[in-house]
Amino acid sequence: MTEINQSIQSNTIVHPRYGCAIGAVNTVAAIPRGIPIANCGPGCADKQYFMLSFSNGFQGAGYSGGGAVPSSNVGENEIVFGGHKKLDELIKASLKIMDGDIFVVLTGCAVELIGDDVGAIVKEYQQKGYPVVHAEAAGFKGNNLVGHETVVKAIVDQYVGEYKGRKKKGLINLWFDVPYYHANWRGNNIELKRVLEGAGFKVNILFGSESAGTSEWKEIPKAQFNLVVSPWVGLDIAQHLEAKYKQPFLHVPIIPIGEEATTEFIRNVVAFAGIDNKKAEDFIKVEAERYYYFLEHFSEFFSEYWFGLPARFVSVGEAAYNLAITKYLTDQIGLIPAKQIITDNTPEKHRNNIRELFHGISDEFPLDVEFIEDGYLIEQQVKNVDYGSSVPLILGSSWESDVAKELNGLLIPISTPIVSEVVINRTYVGYTGALTLLEKIYSETVRG
Amino acid sequence: MAKELRQIAIYGKGGIGKSTTTQNLTAGLAENGKNVMIVGCDPKADSTRLLLGGLAQKTVLDTLRETGEDIDLDLIVKEGYRGIKCVESGGPEPGVGCAGRGIITSIGLLERLGAYEDDLDYVFYDVLGDVVCGGFAMPIREGKAREIYIVGSGEMMALYAANNIAKGIQKYAKKGKVRLGGIICNSRNVDRETELLRAFAEELGTQLIHYVPRDNIVQHAEIRKKTVIDFASESAQADEYRDLAKKIEENKHFVIPKPMTQDRLEEILFEYGLMDAVEDYKI
Repeated sequence: MTEINQSIQSNTIVHPRYGCAIGAVNTVAAIPRGIPIANCGPGCADKQYFMLSFSNGFQGAGYSGGGAVPSSNVGENEIVFGGHKKLDELIKASLKIMDGDIFVVLTGCAVELIGDDVGAIVKEYQQKGYPVVHAEAAGFKGNNLVGHETVVKAIVDQYVGEYKGRKKKGLINLWFDVPYYHANWRGNNIELKRVLEGAGFKVNILFGSESAGTSEWKEIPKAQFNLVVSPWVGLDIAQHLEAKYKQPFLHVPIIPIGEEATTEFIRNVVAFAGIDNKKAEDFIKVEAERYYYFLEHFSEFFSEYWFGLPARFVSVGEAAYNLAITKYLTDQIGLIPAKQIITDNTPEKHRNNIRELFHGISDEFPLDVEFIEDGYLIEQQVKNVDYGSSVPLILGSSWESDVAKELNGLLIPISTPIVSEVVINRTYVGYTGALTLLEKIYSETVRG
Repeated sequence: MAKELRQIAIYGKGGIGKSTTTQNLTAGLAENGKNVMIVGCDPKADSTRLLLGGLAQKTVLDTLRETGEDIDLDLIVKEGYRGIKCVESGGPEPGVGCAGRGIITSIGLLERLGAYEDDLDYVFYDVLGDVVCGGFAMPIREGKAREIYIVGSGEMMALYAANNIAKGIQKYAKKGKVRLGGIICNSRNVDRETELLRAFAEELGTQLIHYVPRDNIVQHAEIRKKTVIDFASESAQADEYRDLAKKIEENKHFVIPKPMTQDRLEEILFEYGLMDAVEDYKI
């Protein structure tokens, strides 16, 4: 049987769960003072903002996202005669009006199809010293996760540039959440940076509140290594940087949630870096003590709450958090994983590895995972699960709210889109995030 | 009773003489009192030069770009030799934009402006080169040209292109009413050209509708920005085009072409001597 046949395919997709490549305008907007320039038809970029930010925890647009994104709004004229002139005017105007440190032109489907030489236009600005980059972000090339990787590589190649100097020991480039797409990305970045710095590293976090912006991007080649914390997104970036800057990378496919996973994560990274582990061990001690202080109190509730707690859960979401949360709930909380569905159109080449990771989550559960994108099929699968006598726990997106209602279950949003919560700086990762996740799940439970 | 409008598309390899043939044969039809319109579907906008005495009018796409869609038909339709209506779709500068999309846009605009509602007998689409993408197939989409003629010659590349065009026609013919009306040979004085073209046409399931001999008078007329019928009305070449016009007028032989495999095409070329010629130059 071929790999593809092992996943359930349908010819239609209801309930979209990701954006297209031009959704990477949000990646650029997540860089402090980064200005995306959308070179596509009217509405393309706005739709991506709506899908990945507004209808995903109402995250807001920030300094340069959402409605502030300059766009060439190409129409029939540009399609027939080429859009060079309009794009050139747009870049000029954007440089004049938008106060930014880096400008990234993202070219969408229509312009890619007619073959405008966007690279040549942008190159003129680059030669004059303007920080302008171009990225091919046509939707037909893939989804917003692929777009994110494309944009990062374009910035590395066209803005960060060549570097042959020394590396800084203990400096890490972190390739982790996809901004906006992972609704908790801002809080997650804060936590993972805190954890790594606590262990003695310096971290180029690159996106969000903790990033220093373009000066940090310029530091990328100086890092000792790249750290990919995700099952597949970011691997391509790390491989690119390995070839470009001779920078090794460490791949941690399962995002650490909870004390055990986070402590193991820190020790792994410290061992890979070869730095002294004294600081890391001191940090782990403090964090672990704090974690178990709270977990102890939680466990009293957990063991004595007599009014019904969920036992079996299903998780429906993109690969990264589906894997990480399933592992945490199974391994650490003792819940029973009943059905795991990955919805992010994971590239075929990564699927077997992810299957194996699910398989290895727990000794007692050789866990299977399915790759499905169609909401109709997903609902069927979620409905057919045997939840036993306890309340069904569904970790998914807001698309699962109907089926959760039908099953009288609990819905905990973990993946795009999320319209039932406002997300600000929440995190479910690391030491502190795990506790927030428990708070979330069991608040829903006691609410009934 | 309303006349039935015949919409005809002319395809063929670049440089084969589609525009020259189309303009000369429409001049022949006009001589017979037919109302004809030519829509040039080539960004070079040179499909109506011989009828208008030069590149006289603005193209549809230039007008659209400068003035917008709210335009008068007179701005883009110019009358040429014997009242033949001439339209040039135009297109982007070489190397930019999308000429295929340009054709779709401009034919769409012509329809909206009512260019086809006139008292027309014929509309000819003179289409650039090969059916390279959806835009270049616009003239044979449903509701447009139902008759297609391919201009070819005894040269190998012209036949490769013609066979490829037949593939495009076959695709559209299976879904709609478009049919191949025949092959027009625009002679290059290649050995055994008529036999080769006849065999090629037969293999496609169509006919060699006319053999237009090579004559320098065509070039003389072109230099003077005229069709042969206009420039040398009494010449034998003018009669050839009149013959072609008559044959098209009377044509009843419309087929779904059966394009051949590359191997079969090369077999035919071999059989009719093209390959022999190569042997002659062997040392």
